[in-house]
Amino acid sequence: MQKKILEFTNILRKSGIRVSTAETLDAFAALDELSIDDRDVFRDALRATMVKRGEEVSTFDQLFELFWSGFYDHLRDAFGTAAEGLEAFGIELEDLLRQIAEQLQNMQGELGDLSELAQAMLTADLDQLEQLIRAAASQSGVDRIENFLQVGFFSRRMLEQMNYEGAGQELRDLAARLEAAGMSPEEVAALRALIDRLMEAARKSVRNFTERSLQQHNHDYMEKFRRETLLEKSFYHLTEEEIRKMREVVERLAQRIKNILSIRRRRLKRGKLDLHQTLRRNMSHGGIPFELAFKQRKKDRPKLVILCDVSSSVANVSRFMLQFVYQLQEAFTRIRSFVFVSELGEVTQLFQEGDINDSIEQALDGGGVINVYTRSNFGAAFHHFWQNFLSAIDNKTTVLVLGDARNNYNDPRAWCLRDIHEKAKNVVWLNPESPSAWGFGDSVMDRYRPYCDVSEECRNLRQLSAMIDRLVL
Amino acid sequence: MFDSVEKVETLLGEEKYICDRKIATVVFLAEKLEKPVLVEGPAGVGKTELAKVVAAATGRSLVRLQCYEGLDEAKALYEWEYSKQLLYTQILKERFVQVMAGAKTLSEAAERIGKEDSVFFSEHFIVPRPLLHAITSEEPSLLLVDEVDKSDPEFEAFLLEVLSDFQVTVPEIGTVRAVRKPLVFLTSNNAREMSDALKRRCLHLFIDYPNEALERRILEMKVPGVNEHLMRDLVGMMQRLRELDLKKIPSISETLDWARALLALNATDLDEDVVNQTLNVILKYEGDVRRVQGDLSRLLARKTGEAKAPAAAPTVVPTRTVAKKGALH
Ligand SMILES: Nc1ncnc2c1ncn2[C@@H]1O[C@H](COP(=O)(O)OP(=O)(O)OP(=O)(O)O)[C@@H](O)[C@H]1O
Ligand SMILES: [Mg+2]
Repeated sequence: MQKKILEFTNILRKSGIRVSTAETLDAFAALDELSIDDRDVFRDALRATMVKRGEEVSTFDQLFELFWSGFYDHLRDAFGTAAEGLEAFGIELEDLLRQIAEQLQNMQGELGDLSELAQAMLTADLDQLEQLIRAAASQSGVDRIENFLQVGFFSRRMLEQMNYEGAGQELRDLAARLEAAGMSPEEVAALRALIDRLMEAARKSVRNFTERSLQQHNHDYMEKFRRETLLEKSFYHLTEEEIRKMREVVERLAQRIKNILSIRRRRLKRGKLDLHQTLRRNMSHGGIPFELAFKQRKKDRPKLVILCDVSSSVANVSRFMLQFVYQLQEAFTRIRSFVFVSELGEVTQLFQEGDINDSIEQALDGGGVINVYTRSNFGAAFHHFWQNFLSAIDNKTTVLVLGDARNNYNDPRAWCLRDIHEKAKNVVWLNPESPSAWGFGDSVMDRYRPYCDVSEECRNLRQLSAMIDRLVL
Repeated sequence: MFDSVEKVETLLGEEKYICDRKIATVVFLAEKLEKPVLVEGPAGVGKTELAKVVAAATGRSLVRLQCYEGLDEAKALYEWEYSKQLLYTQILKERFVQVMAGAKTLSEAAERIGKEDSVFFSEHFIVPRPLLHAITSEEPSLLLVDEVDKSDPEFEAFLLEVLSDFQVTVPEIGTVRAVRKPLVFLTSNNAREMSDALKRRCLHLFIDYPNEALERRILEMKVPGVNEHLMRDLVGMMQRLRELDLKKIPSISETLDWARALLALNATDLDEDVVNQTLNVILKYEGDVRRVQGDLSRLLARKTGEAKAPAAAPTVVPTRTVAKKGALH
């Protein structure tokens, strides 16, 4: 049992669930306290000791099913059916076995002379069969199986490892010997039929085991794939479901940054005793310092002006960047946000009331200040900003532009960005297109780039989150 | 205390907590293995309540440490009662003068006073906070560290130390070791992920929204007097609401609140009017309310579609609606 649990632990680890040795020991300790006949309790105990993340629970449950229940159930079905074949002969398995044992005794032999596999098959000892099959599997390296074309190969290898053919031969020899010793022809016929069925059941079970290993492998693979893809997935085409999931991921990433910031703030806060303040605060106590005051050091937080292209090609970058920025509001002194396609308008006030996600969706829809159903014109948008909002920028301001710089062959008016750059602390441009496309076709990225302190590709969540780290940490 | 998983179910049931096998198993193991339990899950699914009823069912005294951003060691463990210390120094001024009498230099005076320090840093001036309470408690106790995800990572690290060996060191007094290891429950809404180190030390329990059957049992137990078909409609609707993309998904506490509200209104059936009237009991955001109102006929239609036998329905439903409208307005 312990061995099997260790094996299961390995499978969990391979699927990305980090199970420490201490936790495995906890699992053993837990099982000591419980009756493990109840499969649900057994599963719950393993889960409580080994799985510590909510999002891993479903992976665990699926693997548990694959590993624990499935195969044993399969064995029971397969060998149960094999034994049922005896009904046609009007003989019960137990009676037949008793007969065999008696006959063997007369011949001065016993069942124990047979190989383990032959014995286990004949007596339908499922536990023993499972152990033999697992042992053969680990010796044949079945856990390395990668695609279904290998199922046949690995199954054969396992059968060889178990000496399946040898066991079959033993059983057939046994039938012959029993026949020679005078066992009734009906019984011998029944035994021969049973042996064929058992052999078939064992072969099927091995194949079933191999297929399960493949499923486990695929499961690991799919899980890893799913987790990684969300971070890597291009912002260009996302389904509603993916947007929802990504929103959660962004929330977590933002939370992580918040934690870091909060530790940092606390360190800074622990300033020296502020004598001046302490005395002033305690005037009413006759100058006896009942309440202490500490100096608080302040850290420079940047001001942020964010210009979001909300045309459909870039909307998702803007969506998640806005979510980041507003979840991390306290990392900035002030945030002003603008949206543009061809017109440009300020949407800062949207974020002052209500829910972030609602506000973002409204902003992406033009926020009631611009028309989003036009063709992108960065030149016009920047010009508008230059005319109306240049005063929003000072030497503490970081300007963040999100856009693909696809200008539909309009005048880029790069000088507007130049002036913005001159006044700002720095200008950061995130472009969902790869740099190799910048400046080709109607992309005017090359014209804006000289006025950006940082210009980077931002096509997926991983890149976006790396950028956020740079901005606030 | 608990001699089997079933016993946990029964005893918690007596405390009016309906728990499924999964919860019971973890609670059982927590006691047997003396391990803390980290309970995670969405808001309002009964995490805090679980700790409370376990305390009640096992006759342990409940010590609750509510976490929040900025909670630090001092507030969780102990604080020196600074004003009391100060007060005493004022009162004992005379004594100080005596102690210092004859001291030739300032540093000699300071040294003499330093020797008396321990008077002020003794148990007498300590204000124990929940953690110290739990550790020093003579009788069996249950320490509930509620909403641990709201605390800062720094505090989590400190908590980890305490949970590892149930002893704390007060520099001026010495090491205090637990007389009896308290049973520990930590709850989290997953506002942030807890560290692996903490998780390794805990058993893990994830409580999700209940399924329909469980939710009905909870409702039956907590708000008796809801008639059978109202119960079915109400729970059915809650289950469906949770499938929507709402900002705040209503939880068990909302189900209970809603049932109470409906009882107060003498409602015996869910129709659009009653639902509209009471939607703010279960939905906390304007956006969510609008979202559900837009969908209401579908949510309700599904309800009646499921609830009634197709043939008999058309005559039954309208009359019932009319009758109740009269009662409500
Ligand atoms: N299984 C249950 N049996 C009986 N009552 C329950 C059950 N689950 C939840 N409740 C009830 O639901 C309400 C909410 O529970 P509780 O406050 O413990 O939730 P919580 O998970 O701690 O929420 P939060 O994350 O908001 O703190 C309580 O009134 C509690 O009595
Ligand atoms: Mg709670």
